[in-house]
Amino acid sequence: MNTKTQKKSQIKVITGNAAAAIAAKLARPDVVAAYPITPQTEIIEQISQFHANGEMDCELITVEGENSAMNAVMAASLAGGRVFTATSSWGLVFMYDAVLATAGARAPVVMVNVNRETPGIIAVSSGQQDMISTRDAGWIFLIAEDCQEVLDLVLQAYRLAEDYDIQVPVMVHYDGFYLSYLSEGVDVPFQEDVDAFLSVLKDQPERTKLVPGGKLGCGSHGILGGYLELRYKHVSAMERSKAKFNQIDQEFFEIFGRSYGGLIEEYRMEDAEVVLVGSGSMCGTIKTVIDEKRDAGIKVGLLKIRMYRPFPGEAMVAALKGKKAIGVVDRSLCFGFKGGPIYTELKAFETQLGGSKMISFIDGIANTDITTANVGTMIDTTCDLAAGKEVREVTWVSYPEAQEEGGL
Amino acid sequence: MSSNKFFKHEGPWSDANDPLMCSDTGDWRSKRPVVDKDKCIFCGFCAIYCPIQVMEMVESSHFSPDLGFCKGCGICAKECPKNAISMMPEGEFTK
Amino acid sequence: MTEQKKGKLTNVLDYLKHEDPFSKGVAFCPGCGLELLLRFIPQVLGNDIVMTGTPSCSAPVLLGQNNQSWHKLSYFGTLMTGAAANATGLARYYRKAKIDNTVVCFNGDGTAADIGFGNLSGAAERNEPFIYICYDNEGYMNTGIQKSGTTPFGATTTTTPLGSASKGKNLRRMNLALKMAMHKIPYAATATLSDLEDLAKKLLKAKEAKKRGFAFLHVFAPCTTGWGYAPENTIEVCRRAVKTNYFPLWEAENGKIRMTKTVKKPKPVSTYTELIKKFAHLNEADLQILQDDIDYEYCMLGGLSVLEGECQLPVSLED
Repeated sequence: MNTKTQKKSQIKVITGNAAAAIAAKLARPDVVAAYPITPQTEIIEQISQFHANGEMDCELITVEGENSAMNAVMAASLAGGRVFTATSSWGLVFMYDAVLATAGARAPVVMVNVNRETPGIIAVSSGQQDMISTRDAGWIFLIAEDCQEVLDLVLQAYRLAEDYDIQVPVMVHYDGFYLSYLSEGVDVPFQEDVDAFLSVLKDQPERTKLVPGGKLGCGSHGILGGYLELRYKHVSAMERSKAKFNQIDQEFFEIFGRSYGGLIEEYRMEDAEVVLVGSGSMCGTIKTVIDEKRDAGIKVGLLKIRMYRPFPGEAMVAALKGKKAIGVVDRSLCFGFKGGPIYTELKAFETQLGGSKMISFIDGIANTDITTANVGTMIDTTCDLAAGKEVREVTWVSYPEAQEEGGL
Repeated sequence: MSSNKFFKHEGPWSDANDPLMCSDTGDWRSKRPVVDKDKCIFCGFCAIYCPIQVMEMVESSHFSPDLGFCKGCGICAKECPKNAISMMPEGEFTK
Repeated sequence: MTEQKKGKLTNVLDYLKHEDPFSKGVAFCPGCGLELLLRFIPQVLGNDIVMTGTPSCSAPVLLGQNNQSWHKLSYFGTLMTGAAANATGLARYYRKAKIDNTVVCFNGDGTAADIGFGNLSGAAERNEPFIYICYDNEGYMNTGIQKSGTTPFGATTTTTPLGSASKGKNLRRMNLALKMAMHKIPYAATATLSDLEDLAKKLLKAKEAKKRGFAFLHVFAPCTTGWGYAPENTIEVCRRAVKTNYFPLWEAENGKIRMTKTVKKPKPVSTYTELIKKFAHLNEADLQILQDDIDYEYCMLGGLSVLEGECQLPVSLED
């Protein structure tokens, strides 16, 4: 992250959840839907307290289920409001029909999803499977590495979703249990700066709204060419969001003094021969181990994915081209494929990488920590790959049985 | 942005400022209501019970159906307290 | 020939103060109760209502096709699972933005009693400021006549068909309107198409009650295609439903239930079922089960209405 010295700041030691709640408050939403689910609960508790203290002038709807949460905010958004809600894992999949409807209706909803293991097995523990299970929803997906980025991404999410050129809902993901409950020092922006950052939207043309007597109706049937036209518009908007997100990163830097690099963050990649690709809180650990490895003379770097949907393929190719070996770290599984989901998606660009070799690491699921030792192993294995040694395509780092004779 | 051939907006919005769609439902019926204006007491039951509301007032004398959209359901004839409406087969009328 | 003396024009026409915003030619079956209801509502409540609609018999008309619409109302077409939650979002945003509005969440019994009941109950519990209208044609009609929670005992549908091992639906219907009245909402009522003045008054009361919170209207709207009766009988079917107490007309203002039409000598339910083919296979014993169910529901209703003097719902709470 690039920073410049600011005129004033307020550092608070807060959890990732609190950071999300504060960001939502600063964005001044009109309607917030609240339903609890571990590990997100603190977000809506904080917002409820803000509301009870009169610090948030919004309609707070304590819905009876996540499905209603998304339906309520979608409708409020289409009526012209700024909205917020948060969920995780099972809540996300319970509201999935409404998540799809929101994307199809092009409602600029902003939602925080605190990553937790889903689907299938009851687990109150970490993992990005909930994000992977819903990646085709047609939403923009952003992923945060630390509590500061959680707060910053929620603000950027509003700027992106409500942009007249975009109008696609945005989901901000961060690791449950690792960031949700972790307290870090966070530079909390001042309200007037957030207002200034989002004021750009007020100068843009007004988006279509559902108003009484307006004679416009949302949710019209898409018939044949009309359906295709809407889909094409949607896909095009998602493509545009890549450049827009980079632009927003710059706008954010101008006001708050923090830049993350846009779609991806490249950490010590310029002369790297070996690269790990990762997302979310694991990146903090990976950066620490990379620094140690660099001191030992190993030219290793990290490509951190910040925008996951749309997939920033072009940016990743530009950054990875010519690297000898790439290890993609997935905090989830890609059912039907041996490798992890992000690995499988990046593999589609393999021919553009100029000969780089790729392998898949699966780790960090169900609160099995991605330790510094695990990261060290991943880097060493990827270095072996770069050196031309025989290396497994897929490694379940915390589950040695997968690597046994007769395993995958 | 992309073409606006089918939709005017980014999302699935329809616009009633443009002409409404309208089906030729008058084509559906096999019977049509015929009002005996002398029997009609101008109560308006046929008008309120017609699902499409095709019954139009003729001065203060009687009601008469707009045959462009009448589907021939027969509710008006059934509900008329004076049996002033008969459902006659379409075949007996030339267009 | 002597001219018939002109009678008095029905009062109902006085309630139809606004124009019918729907196109004249729309795809409802001839004699459809839903078509009558759908045109009726905006003529009473105004053309600036915002209607939400879901997949149902109303969807092909309420929702547009590409850019075009069948009517002039603002509408929001979405899924059955979250209809009441959608309406909640609209009503709450309009309240925040101080936009004058009447949101009408318009659903069939499939949505209201089955798949969308959870969020209907949640919206009522939260006393959300909109009107929820359930038109009850006792089944999923748009998909071809399947059983729903409000399908009565004995009725044949495509998922409760007649066969050597089945005599139609072998479960009693659920009483959705009474359940909603139990949510302590400002207004809940039943209405039907044979009593249009009653329906109009209830629509207006619902609009008034919306200022205090949630209003629920349960409208009995027979389906000629799905139930098997001649289209001309739609109003008569409603009439007999009321006369047999199969569908009593009542309202609950702030929880106080009162009958809006007391039928002094209710006819046996057979006078209702004889008009409708979906009941044609029922023998006397089966009809008695249906009759007992009707009597049970009416007895409960009667009992609750008697309590009106004793149990007072507190004044509605401000936010």
